[in-house]
Amino acid sequence: MASEDEEFTMLFQDFYPSLCRFLECLLGGRAPLAQDLAQESFLQLHRTAWGTLPVGEARFWLYRVARNMAINEFRKSNTRYRLFDRVVEVMRPRARNPEQEYEVQERNAMVLEMLQTLPEDQRAALLLREQEQLSYREIGQVLNISESKVKIDIFRARASLRERLSKLSGISRVARIGN
Amino acid sequence: MNCSFTEKISSLIDGELSATQAREVERHLLTCSDCEQLRADFLNLRSQITSFETSLQPEVQNRALKKILAGPRRAPARGLQWNFGTQALGFAMLLIVAAIIGFVVYQKSNNQRGQKDVAVVVQTPSPVPAATIEHGKQPNAKESPEPQTSPNKNNEDKSPRQAPNKRPIVREPKPGEQFATIPEPTIPGPVRSADAETMTAMHFETSERLLLAFKNVRLDEPTAAEEVGYERKRAKQLVYQNMLLKREADAAGDVQISSLLENLEPILIDIANLPDRPDENTVRAIRERVERKNIVGLLRVNSMALARALD
Repeated sequence: MASEDEEFTMLFQDFYPSLCRFLECLLGGRAPLAQDLAQESFLQLHRTAWGTLPVGEARFWLYRVARNMAINEFRKSNTRYRLFDRVVEVMRPRARNPEQEYEVQERNAMVLEMLQTLPEDQRAALLLREQEQLSYREIGQVLNISESKVKIDIFRARASLRERLSKLSGISRVARIGN
Repeated sequence: MNCSFTEKISSLIDGELSATQAREVERHLLTCSDCEQLRADFLNLRSQITSFETSLQPEVQNRALKKILAGPRRAPARGLQWNFGTQALGFAMLLIVAAIIGFVVYQKSNNQRGQKDVAVVVQTPSPVPAATIEHGKQPNAKESPEPQTSPNKNNEDKSPRQAPNKRPIVREPKPGEQFATIPEPTIPGPVRSADAETMTAMHFETSERLLLAFKNVRLDEPTAAEEVGYERKRAKQLVYQNMLLKREADAAGDVQISSLLENLEPILIDIANLPDRPDENTVRAIRERVERKNIVGLLRVNSMALARALD
């Protein structure tokens, strides 16, 4: 039992932050909610599937469950969560100096805004690829889709983000010339 | 852009093409500037997406782990926060929220006045400022109920990267330290020539692609021997380059880069020495080592950091 807990602790320490990041990007920010969902996913793993799943599979299981939870959240229209999240975000203790904090926040906001323009399935596939470095086959396992769909989704996501960025940079260029 | 290679470029940067296809696309890239631009743009997107930092705090992580390990519970932890259901509670919560916002705004306006004099704002209960967190000393491990229970949870524990960082940005964010402050990529004291840094960045990028492609080689397919042969050849070329760059990094005193190159070297050598038809166990052992040491992630972060520094 103890060794099972040890193994679980290792898995948790290794993947909880990545799962939070994945969910945060998937949900368009809302860090506290992302952390809750990540915790809930691990809780479910610990309660139900831990010990029955091969360790190598646990990671994919977690991402699959977490993503389903995120989809449920999309379906709820829950302004109260957003309001609460906003307050928690404001109250969050900062470890950086204000300039660094500002820069990180700006960068994060830009990434989130960019990702929100994608359909959810493309966003999930792209995040699993870029942030979690899963292979197409592994992503297919997590999202329950074929490898070729993963490939197409990722390509489309990239192409669409690229187009969006090039439009934005075009606008800013025009604005600069105008000034 | 109507080039027929566009989709393959996406797969190329993911290391998902077979050796033959990868060669074909790489050859095409030499002649098609549009596709080369597309590849650069895709890599730039990757860099932006991976730069996202979660705002997770170590205490939150430790609390979550404690809750989960405390045993099975009827109500999920999240439910405890929000399943109150009654309107009265909702209203009360709104009032509290409004009060908090008022307090925060008041405090902020007060703080802004004195901010210039404050060198560092540390409100976190974390005992170590995030910028000083070292591998193997994750703050979250401190409060963990069983900190000693993860002897190999962090591959970096064994890694020579524990040496003081000269280039702080180049670390792969590992669990528990995503929130560590990453200092600005100031140009480090010991000077390495821009050429060497460019070479190193390119070397990291090529090695990353090689390892990704190697990860995706399927031994049960008929083209496996050809693919292994191709990866082996590429690995041979990279081994020499790796040795030279390591020597250069050592001479420049760049411990960070040097230790990454040191970790990469045996893996490249192993791939370069693979037989024509390697058995599955050998390939799996190499893949596991790459995974365990998180080499691909480190290569990616380092090549991006170097490229950013060069910009």
